[in-house]
Amino acid sequence: MTPPPAARALGRVAATERNPNTPHQFHFWTAVDAAVGIGTIVRVDGAHPIGGQLPRVYGVVVEGFSYTDLQSPLHDVLGYDGDPSSAGFAPTERAEARVYTAAVLRQIPEEPMQPVPMGDVFLADHADVAIALRMDGYLKDGARTAIPVGIYRAGAMDAPIYLDADFLVGPEAAHLNITGVSGLATKTSAVEFLLQSLFAHFPEAKGSIAAVCFNVKGPDLCFLDQPGELTDEDRELYRALDVPAEPFRDVEYYAPFKTDLLTIRTLRSHEALAHNVRPLTWGLAEVLQYAEVLLNRDDVDAKADALIDFIRERVLGRTFEDRTLKETHTVRSFADLEAWFIDVLRSLEEKGGEQWRTHHVATIRKVRNRLSNIATRCAGLVTSDGASSDLPWGHFRDRAVYVVDVALLEEDAQDLIFARVVSTLREHLERRDLGVSHVVVFVDELNKYAAADGPDTYVRRMLLDISERGRYLGLVLFGAQQFRSQVHRRVAGNAGTALYGRMDADELATPGYQVLSPAIRTKLATLSKGQLMVRHPHFTQPVFVRFPRPAVMRGRDGAERYPPAVDVPFDQGVLRNLRTLDPSLTLARIQEFVALYPEEEVTRAMHATLRARPDSVEAYFRAQFKTLVPSQRAPAAPAKPIVSLPKDDPYAI
Amino acid sequence: MVRATADHATSHRAALRRLVQRMPGLRAAVSGGPSLERMGGDAESPHLLDAEGLEDATLRSHPVPGVPAAGFAAFLDGVQESRVIAWSGPAPIVHGTVAAAVRRRTDRRLTTWEAPIISRRIYAPLAYAPEAELRAAFGDDALVDTAHPDAAGALPPPHPTLLLERAKTAVSRDREAAERRLAERWCADGDGTLAVDGGISGSDLLAGHPAVAGIVKSHRTLYASGAALAAVLALARGERSSVFRIAARERSAVHSWYLRLRDPAGQHALHGLVRVEVAALEQGPAAVAERADVVSRWVLAETTPLALPDPRWDVMSYPVRDCEEFLRAIL
Repeated sequence: MTPPPAARALGRVAATERNPNTPHQFHFWTAVDAAVGIGTIVRVDGAHPIGGQLPRVYGVVVEGFSYTDLQSPLHDVLGYDGDPSSAGFAPTERAEARVYTAAVLRQIPEEPMQPVPMGDVFLADHADVAIALRMDGYLKDGARTAIPVGIYRAGAMDAPIYLDADFLVGPEAAHLNITGVSGLATKTSAVEFLLQSLFAHFPEAKGSIAAVCFNVKGPDLCFLDQPGELTDEDRELYRALDVPAEPFRDVEYYAPFKTDLLTIRTLRSHEALAHNVRPLTWGLAEVLQYAEVLLNRDDVDAKADALIDFIRERVLGRTFEDRTLKETHTVRSFADLEAWFIDVLRSLEEKGGEQWRTHHVATIRKVRNRLSNIATRCAGLVTSDGASSDLPWGHFRDRAVYVVDVALLEEDAQDLIFARVVSTLREHLERRDLGVSHVVVFVDELNKYAAADGPDTYVRRMLLDISERGRYLGLVLFGAQQFRSQVHRRVAGNAGTALYGRMDADELATPGYQVLSPAIRTKLATLSKGQLMVRHPHFTQPVFVRFPRPAVMRGRDGAERYPPAVDVPFDQGVLRNLRTLDPSLTLARIQEFVALYPEEEVTRAMHATLRARPDSVEAYFRAQFKTLVPSQRAPAAPAKPIVSLPKDDPYAI
Repeated sequence: MVRATADHATSHRAALRRLVQRMPGLRAAVSGGPSLERMGGDAESPHLLDAEGLEDATLRSHPVPGVPAAGFAAFLDGVQESRVIAWSGPAPIVHGTVAAAVRRRTDRRLTTWEAPIISRRIYAPLAYAPEAELRAAFGDDALVDTAHPDAAGALPPPHPTLLLERAKTAVSRDREAAERRLAERWCADGDGTLAVDGGISGSDLLAGHPAVAGIVKSHRTLYASGAALAAVLALARGERSSVFRIAARERSAVHSWYLRLRDPAGQHALHGLVRVEVAALEQGPAAVAERADVVSRWVLAETTPLALPDPRWDVMSYPVRDCEEFLRAIL
């Protein structure tokens, strides 16, 4: 740990009639070469006691000014004959003043709250930083709820900055929002690091915690279990923050299949990494439960809603008989549902009627059309046999990360997955049977999913619900976006903690950032990788921190090192999937099944095996097929004896 | 920091309060008014003096060879401010503050060398003022009599304006003494050449020290007449006059020359003209000229940055202005 700076005054408070000090702001000057800048935390030692106590004021620098005694630039022009290069030869530099404005972080004593007194200004040391940011309250032994978020650096001092778990995960406040321009990898990296930190420091007394991360673009989150490259400086930061510099230990990946139902639709499809990649497939029941997500709001009027409800409650998954229908239906898949629709419409046509069980034929046709589309739009996610392969509901593990990769999916399928996963998380957390007591849900691109202006979608309503009520359940939203101003105000506003990476100038010009000083906004526009501005309920002013790059493989590096699996012939595809369960399987064994059975049946058997994850993979896979019995001659019947023997024949002849 | 006075003399307001408490019969000058330094009048009337040429029989111009280069290690200047705080009949009772500082240059930046000298005193014509009460109020050390009798024992007439000018002169003497003390301290402990704002002939030590140069900005006395004066006034930028010797009565002899710092075209005849004084150490015209060229290059180097907005910017170096700003800030 860097030693604290020497207790030498850095500057002096300076208040003038034009720029007086207030209880929330003060000014001070420093030497030209003082190690102070925007974001530096300082301490003012007052000289006159208040109520028997010498006042101490902590502040963070929010603005800086530089002056010389030059009254007009013209004087310099004249002095150097209009030649700027000759200024460098002047034997004396003009006297220069550095004056800073600091926003008050904390005053001690806190009452009576007075304007900041005159006094010496010191660079804050470790203890000062903890007091200034009110971290002392949650760094106490026995009541420690501190989660390291980064290092505050000033002069030669590095001080860890902590968030309060009670205000990050709940129940006091919750949720985190991170914003910043795309392309610097700051948002994703920050969330990855913060999750590592959260897993390392989340107090056991507060229960267990897991994370569900939606990978919405590229390979960003596809290699969280693989080690990444770290510099010595990164390792030093990890040491200072007491966070293990290692990838996540327990990660599971979930992604739907491609339309061939053989290859999982993710950039993490390399065979070497397949051991913790699981298919995400749902049956018709799971999909219909969230049909509203996929249906245009204009489509789902009261009549269509009624028909969908009817199908969900009366048709789905049960034997459905109706005297007007030709057949008895058992609807478990979209194919079954389509057959049911055809039967209903045929009966209407035959009767020449317009209504079937109070449902108008136009409504039936519209719902059929929309639901049929779902199967097409969500191909690979929806199974034909109605079986599902899902996240381990009820068996979530402490400190595990569940990545749901929707990056390569259609927008509708993304929405459906997002809505169902989050809703199911909520249901389980309400029932306290998820397996963990807290879940962090990481969603990137909140601009899209919770747009400030735009349609009132199911997903947006759900995000609003999490934002406003999730903390009581232990459901915490870590949201990220490029433009915070374009995210729904209640979603962004309910995030107790906000992180800011480098910001776009246009975004900084929006009203939400006008509370920041011009210097802070300028700093935000020029932050480098690994730097963040942090707002947290305990911090009365934003604080700048530096965090190490996450100890996981970057998505781009992972995609190069573990290129996605290429499409292969059917038999090899089946083998590749089953080998994730049993690496000893051979192509020859699989080819036997492919030769004997239709592809649909082999695929169904493969999916059943993948879902069951049996100990004996080959046996289970084989058992999924109907036995093909070769033709044989019937054995001759045994000849009956002519004389029947008495039942109690003692000789048993 | 050297402070020569008691608390009650730390500001003219404090002195005024004390005076009013101790001597309620005096007419206190509570309305303030300008400092004496802003009032007109100068003890010395402008005049010409012939000086002894060392380099040439008659002063003429010499272009300063070479490129101006920084050579001074430090700069000394003093300030003064005096205000009337009360009247006792025709006698003004003046509170005067004098200060002097050396600003040393390191890596092109100026910082204060050792402690500046600051002195605050009461200046009064004791023959016309209640001496006993003033001594009781301010003490002997902080009280300066501005109405000493002359050699014949005659007191100055009790003319208020005359007594004010005598007070101002007394304050100036104190300021010069403070500057001199500090410069002599530099000669003892300083490192490098000190540029003094003003002449150096008032101190034997300074006038004989090789590491001190005086730069005189005002020219109440011009050490040239006739053709020599014409040559001095015709100096172009970057030219100096021949070196001459000054040996004023009651002052030490020094070597001196005029130097034009700025182009005088379209300006006052004395625009950008300074007179440099150095110790009279060199012997022979060549050595004298060489020394003059070296010091001239140093002085010319100080023409940037400009000392604007000071009205004397044409002859004042930036570090000297910095000295004055520093002293104003701490007074």
